[in-house]
Amino acid sequence: MGKPLNYSYYPGCSLHASASEYDLSTRELFNVLGIGLTEVPDWFCCGATPAHNVDELLSLALCAKNLELADKVEGDMAVACASCFSRLKTAQHVLGVSDVKRTQVEKAIDAPVKLDSNVKHLLEILAKDLGLERLAAAVNKPLSGLKVACYYGCLLTRPSDVPNLDCAEAPTIMEKVIEAVGAETVAWTHRLECCGANFTLSRPGVVIQLTNAVLESAKAAGADCIMVGCPLCHGNLDIRQKEIEGVYNTSYGLPVFYLTQLIGISVGLGADKLGLDAMMVNPMPLLKEKGLL
Amino acid sequence: MSRIGVFICHCGENISRTVDVERVAQEVGRLPGVAFSTDYKYMCSDPGQTLVKKAIQEQKLSHVVVAACSPRMHEKTFRKAVEAAGLNPFLCEMANIREHCSWVHENREEATVKAIDIVGMMVERVKKNRILPTITVPVTKRALVIGGGIAGIQAALDIADCGHEVILVEREPSIGGHMAQLSETFPTLDCSQCIMTPKMVDVANHPKIKLYTYSEIELVEGYIGNFQVTIKKKARSVDEDKCTGCGVCMTKCPQKKIPNKFDQNIGMRTAIYVPFPQAVPNTPVIDRDNCTWFKTGKCGVCQKVCGPGAIDFEQQDTLIVEAVGAIVVSTGFDLYTIAEKPKGSPIKGYGEFGHGKIPDVIDGMTFERLASASGPTGGKILRPSDGKEPKQIVFIQCVGSRAREKGISYCSKVCCMYTAKHTMLYHHKVHDGQAYVFFMDARTPGKSYDEFWRRSIEEEEAVYIRGMVSRLYQKGDKIVVMGSDISVGVQVEIEADMVVLATAIQPQKGADALAQKLGISYDKYHFYSEAHAKLRPVECATAGIYLAGACQGPKDIPETVSQASAAAAKVMALFSRNQMEREPIVARVREAGCVGCFACKKVCAYGAVEEKEIRDRQGNLIKVVAYVNPGVCAGCGTCQATCPSKSVELDGYTDEQIIAMIEAL
Repeated sequence: MGKPLNYSYYPGCSLHASASEYDLSTRELFNVLGIGLTEVPDWFCCGATPAHNVDELLSLALCAKNLELADKVEGDMAVACASCFSRLKTAQHVLGVSDVKRTQVEKAIDAPVKLDSNVKHLLEILAKDLGLERLAAAVNKPLSGLKVACYYGCLLTRPSDVPNLDCAEAPTIMEKVIEAVGAETVAWTHRLECCGANFTLSRPGVVIQLTNAVLESAKAAGADCIMVGCPLCHGNLDIRQKEIEGVYNTSYGLPVFYLTQLIGISVGLGADKLGLDAMMVNPMPLLKEKGLL
Repeated sequence: MSRIGVFICHCGENISRTVDVERVAQEVGRLPGVAFSTDYKYMCSDPGQTLVKKAIQEQKLSHVVVAACSPRMHEKTFRKAVEAAGLNPFLCEMANIREHCSWVHENREEATVKAIDIVGMMVERVKKNRILPTITVPVTKRALVIGGGIAGIQAALDIADCGHEVILVEREPSIGGHMAQLSETFPTLDCSQCIMTPKMVDVANHPKIKLYTYSEIELVEGYIGNFQVTIKKKARSVDEDKCTGCGVCMTKCPQKKIPNKFDQNIGMRTAIYVPFPQAVPNTPVIDRDNCTWFKTGKCGVCQKVCGPGAIDFEQQDTLIVEAVGAIVVSTGFDLYTIAEKPKGSPIKGYGEFGHGKIPDVIDGMTFERLASASGPTGGKILRPSDGKEPKQIVFIQCVGSRAREKGISYCSKVCCMYTAKHTMLYHHKVHDGQAYVFFMDARTPGKSYDEFWRRSIEEEEAVYIRGMVSRLYQKGDKIVVMGSDISVGVQVEIEADMVVLATAIQPQKGADALAQKLGISYDKYHFYSEAHAKLRPVECATAGIYLAGACQGPKDIPETVSQASAAAAKVMALFSRNQMEREPIVARVREAGCVGCFACKKVCAYGAVEEKEIRDRQGNLIKVVAYVNPGVCAGCGTCQATCPSKSVELDGYTDEQIIAMIEAL
């Protein structure tokens, strides 16, 4: 065993609302894996997409303040949501290259910006800090025979010089993590395409079109399910799936799991501890068929 | 006692507008050692120079200071005038009161005081000037040309046609380079082979050209006019004197499925091969990595069938030393590959294009081989995957080029034109096909170039889409091209049968290693650097080494040929003299003080510092000191700044001179 792993945990707004099962499964999984999570005290919204569209300085200041709050807790910052991850990393990047903006933000938050603190997505913690070997050692119910389409979406790896999670255009980190717990992965074409994201509210027609292309590609590649690391992708792929099937007169039936849910199954966590009941596309028939629940 | 003459120039009004030149002349005239001072409207003019010459003779001047413009402008002019009046030219210095004073100040009083100071400094400096003799270096009138593409061929032919011997060294088994691979050439669509191969034959038959193919530069020593070059001639396994080029060995070789690099690995060749039928020399080479004899010790079919008995499995690499006076570097380019790049490389590859794993996504050079009548498909455009004719073809420009985020920011210059040519060749060969081109903007500034590009659209029906491609993926036997059309602001998706990428031009692999052997500089992309971007575009900063072609930066054929001829002209200018003169502004070692630490040798960018043994009369070694070869020294002064014991000084810029200037302030 290596040194104990402890993180300051930044769930982000989604995980306290529409993606509560992501929050639940993350806490349960990390508990089993022996990874300590301490929620950032008094954290607040990272600004997500709206803030930086309206006021860049505001979006930078929101992230800078959260980074400062996280600094009070031991360990690197663990982030679950791809959007929060992207915003926090972008803020560090922008404030690192612009002295003018950094000075303005430091005045706004009345504290120095934490440019050096490590912001890590859960994938990074599992694949690199814990390591694939230790992850595999914790498995007691390998996901054998389950064909997973790993969906990165836009923000986990891009833009190429900001998150530095993996190669921006041909990443493999999700595949490596889920293969480590026994699943098969499929090679598919749309794993890095946009699902439409926030336009799900303002331009649902566009989202239905884009998300359909993602679902179609995953199905064509022979996937049983899709794995995501982003609440917004999850919303579009899972909640809109039935509607999309209606529009395109087709049937996908692809359950959409958060990575922590799938890995949680492999370490023996039950459906109630993973929030599987919150999924719109019912995963139970698939999991029963594969003998996983 | 010095008798210094000071000459203050008005430079029309350039200086006299802000500097009171008469007052400067008066005040400087009072300085100790100054025997004569005057001012004149245009000192560089003929009457101005005559004024200087007359004063030297009449006033018996020992040193001269001309206070005028920058020495870059007229130092040579005045030193010549001084020499004509019978003084050593290096006893003349210029005080720059134009760029350093009148041009940058407005206050007349302050500028005048500053001008007096500047001139006063130069007066003190010139007192310490020594008579410097002009350095002469013998010139070996033979040239080395490295790289046998069109640049090297042109330079070699031009130099040899002037009657000088040329050593042409080529790394591959045949000369010809990339131009021999091309199908047709823009903007006239004449066949590349038809204009290239006669020149290749000229090289082979020229009595003044010595050709080393399948050879590489091992070591370069010496300096301008006097280089010694060691060439490694790789074992060909075929005796060049005996081989008649009949080709029986190749028809009988049982190893027939080796991808031919000349055909971009689409066509196949044998283990004993010439890269293409028109190769020069037409002598095969055995690829030892793929030859059954070299792998297992069995076979030897080529040896059995060779009539003249030219096959020699025992042949070894040989080293040859050649003495040359000038070197032309023409090592050319390579194409960027979109495959994944190793960690640490600033170049990132194209994951969004599948890192080059989709078989029918090819690069521009591969398309040239497909379109070439002597190529692997006999000139038919066919897909590498299944040999079918593509009916929808997409060309993507600026792949790697002009993409800072991918690691390359420059424009590769030839892709707009060759892509336009590709759409024409495609349309000529596949009449019912449709070509699409994704482009950022078309850059066609050459003679008849824009007309050619327009033709591809207006007559050859290529559809140009302004925008870039975000992703390529295989869907069945189609390649889906996802891109944007920014002129109408829509996303575009094309199901193509084949995709051709105009990938960036990069210097040949190993360009940096060769530069280090030659002692020439290169930029961050490993393109070789010219001495001056505008005024010395074919010379290296290292004397005696010249550049031609794409090794210096992306270039098309006309530009490459022009540069090669220019480099040849520079070589011929050097060879027009038996001895060459050069400015004696070189470093000199004070051997008594030198402790032989060779810090100077480590910092010398020109390889001018050598080790010299000092022996007593009995021949016992006393010590080893540094020696600066005056033929190589470029007079940069880095050694002087580095030497811990102050034992090396740059003539004309000694510490004594500099300190005298400072003390004058």
